[in-house]
Amino acid sequence: MTAVTATLTPAPSAELPPPASPRGRGLAERLSAYAYIAPFFVLFGVFGLFPLAFTFYVALFDWNPIGDQVFIGTDNFTRMFADPRFWNAAGNTVSIWALSTIPQLLLALVLAHVLNNARLRFALFFRMSVMVPYITSVAATAVVFAQLFDRDYGLLNWLLGLVGVEPVDFVQSTWGSHVLIATMVTWRWFGYTTLLYLASLQSVPRAVFEAAAIDGAGPWQRFRHITVPSLRPVIIFTVVTSTIGGLQIFTEPLLTGSGLTCGAVRQCQTLTLFLYEQGFGQFEFGYGSAIGVALFVMVVAIAAINFVLSTRIKADR
Amino acid sequence: MKLRLPLLCTATVLALATACTPGTGGGGGGDGKSFEFWSFSAINQKLTVDAYQAKHPDVQIKLTEVGSSTETAQSLTTALAGGKVPDLVLIQGDNLPQFVDQPQNFVDLRTLGADDVKGDYLDWVWKQSVAKDGEVLGVPTDVGGMAVAYRTDLFAAAGLPTDREAVSALWPTWDAFIETGKRYKQATGKAFTDNAATSVFYQAVNQVSEKYYSDDRKVVYGTNPQVKAAFELGIKAATSGITAGQSSFESAWSAGMGQGAYAAVSAPSWMLNSIRSTAPDTKGKWDIARIPGASGNWGGSYLAIPKGAKNPQAAWNYIKEMQSPAGQLEHFTRVGALPSTPSVYKDPKLTDGKDPFFSDAPTGKIYTESLLGLKPFYIGPDSAAIGQEFLDAITNVEQGGGNPATAWDDAVRNIKTAIGE
Repeated sequence: MTAVTATLTPAPSAELPPPASPRGRGLAERLSAYAYIAPFFVLFGVFGLFPLAFTFYVALFDWNPIGDQVFIGTDNFTRMFADPRFWNAAGNTVSIWALSTIPQLLLALVLAHVLNNARLRFALFFRMSVMVPYITSVAATAVVFAQLFDRDYGLLNWLLGLVGVEPVDFVQSTWGSHVLIATMVTWRWFGYTTLLYLASLQSVPRAVFEAAAIDGAGPWQRFRHITVPSLRPVIIFTVVTSTIGGLQIFTEPLLTGSGLTCGAVRQCQTLTLFLYEQGFGQFEFGYGSAIGVALFVMVVAIAAINFVLSTRIKADR
Repeated sequence: MKLRLPLLCTATVLALATACTPGTGGGGGGDGKSFEFWSFSAINQKLTVDAYQAKHPDVQIKLTEVGSSTETAQSLTTALAGGKVPDLVLIQGDNLPQFVDQPQNFVDLRTLGADDVKGDYLDWVWKQSVAKDGEVLGVPTDVGGMAVAYRTDLFAAAGLPTDREAVSALWPTWDAFIETGKRYKQATGKAFTDNAATSVFYQAVNQVSEKYYSDDRKVVYGTNPQVKAAFELGIKAATSGITAGQSSFESAWSAGMGQGAYAAVSAPSWMLNSIRSTAPDTKGKWDIARIPGASGNWGGSYLAIPKGAKNPQAAWNYIKEMQSPAGQLEHFTRVGALPSTPSVYKDPKLTDGKDPFFSDAPTGKIYTESLLGLKPFYIGPDSAAIGQEFLDAITNVEQGGGNPATAWDDAVRNIKTAIGE
């Protein structure tokens, strides 16, 4: 309608600034920038911000999805802090994170150092193959590992049996289930981390390594004094990202143990699994949301640490 | 282990929808002929659906096997919250109370004529789907009844009798059952039964006259001596070394069943189908004996119509025809699920039915007998959660090295944390 009206009223058009004027183009350009970034912010608003805000809101209720919703203030949080299941899940999460991240980063560090070696034959083949676990479906990984680690029919216990070791019940014992899940996480992520380290190492001039070698530095000294220091920023980055990932670990424990509790005494139930159990197993939406809020706070805290550390490293340089 | 991921994704998507659409949609608007039916897997509802469609070619039924009974109930909850519901849904008895507590989510079947057929069903089974103001939410499709399935070949190898009467005589009580297990273990060195939690505790605790709730609907799990006695039987079995430590329906349990890792397994009537499909190669090697204590019920399911159903009338027509005494009797001959309609209990089709998979055991006769002399108990909204904590406590003693002396107190404490009372 407006367009039609505009064509029928010739007088103002003469007074309008010409379309090519810098001011008009500037406005359109400035607006177009917002149009370009709008899809992300619209999607983020709908699928990111709204659910987040709604979670905070629901956390204040005793919320039965098919019944009543009663406002109870911060009761869900008081209950959570007094709930041994919450602390158990938090402990399991930290334990599984430590058991997976530390070996994974060490392994990746060594592998990256080796793969960066100029004299390595078929280097490209090896660099590609460390990525295979990463592109494997996590569900498939969990199913295969659960079978390998099975108490009665697992390959691992069969091998242990050959050397006279009693079969280990990896799923039912606390440490066993943590080791099993950590192994899966390590296996899945070490290739990704290796490539990150390798990419960073490639930016170190090869001459530095060669000069060190000529000066008589052995492989260990080169690793200790060149590889590790030059990787420091990316090491911090991987520690932080794997910590955030570790807090959210879900699929592996879900597919390892029996059900949402991940075993009879919740021995491998992580925070996200506990959240899911309360929210979608027991349908205590309010309580589940409170756990979600707690998880959110933890992740934000770690992201903040990341920010502080990386700024400091930049300043060091 | 199996099939959890697809469900999980569905649940998440539905949960997102929940956030935006409070309440449920209105009913009606269907063509009166087609309807969507959610069932759980492993109970072969497809056979019955096919039979119905053969008789009514103009009716379209979309059957979805959602997952286990618990997963089906969970998906139903999300669906009810999200507003996009099936027209007909099968709910397992243990999951029913939480829905009976919120009757506004379902069609009151009295409006479709439930009162006319009420008299056909076992009274105590019917009562479990009646809400506080008398709304009828579900029609019982079957009842469990209880028995023990055992491997005749393994019993023979252990020097135990194999005839089902002689085997039933081995265990008039649960203590005798555990003693038989010890004899078996001594003779073969192998485990006697799959696990203590379901094969001993869960069967024993379903033989009581009062379970986790009293008849006036108060929570009594912690003080009821009958529950404690059943729990102690479970602990006794767990510590006696006669169990394989395989939780029901886990992958190792399935593998063990095929390989004869255990010789006896708890067998409410619906379990027979699981045994058939889990270990098809063991056909003819099984037989069925009476449960220690002779009577009791475990399980059974209900058909309900959610309030937002597009086509409640078509769903009700299906219920009325297929869950009539004649319909249930026919379903029994197809899959062996025990009817909830006592008028057919003397029918020769039921009493003379023999199951070749289980050495021609007269399953209908054995299971209906286990329902005689039964003292029904009230099942409350938290019964399933309470039962799960008890099961977990026994499993922990059996598999995780938990302390049998403190198991009861631990379980009671965990239940308090879980349900708040």
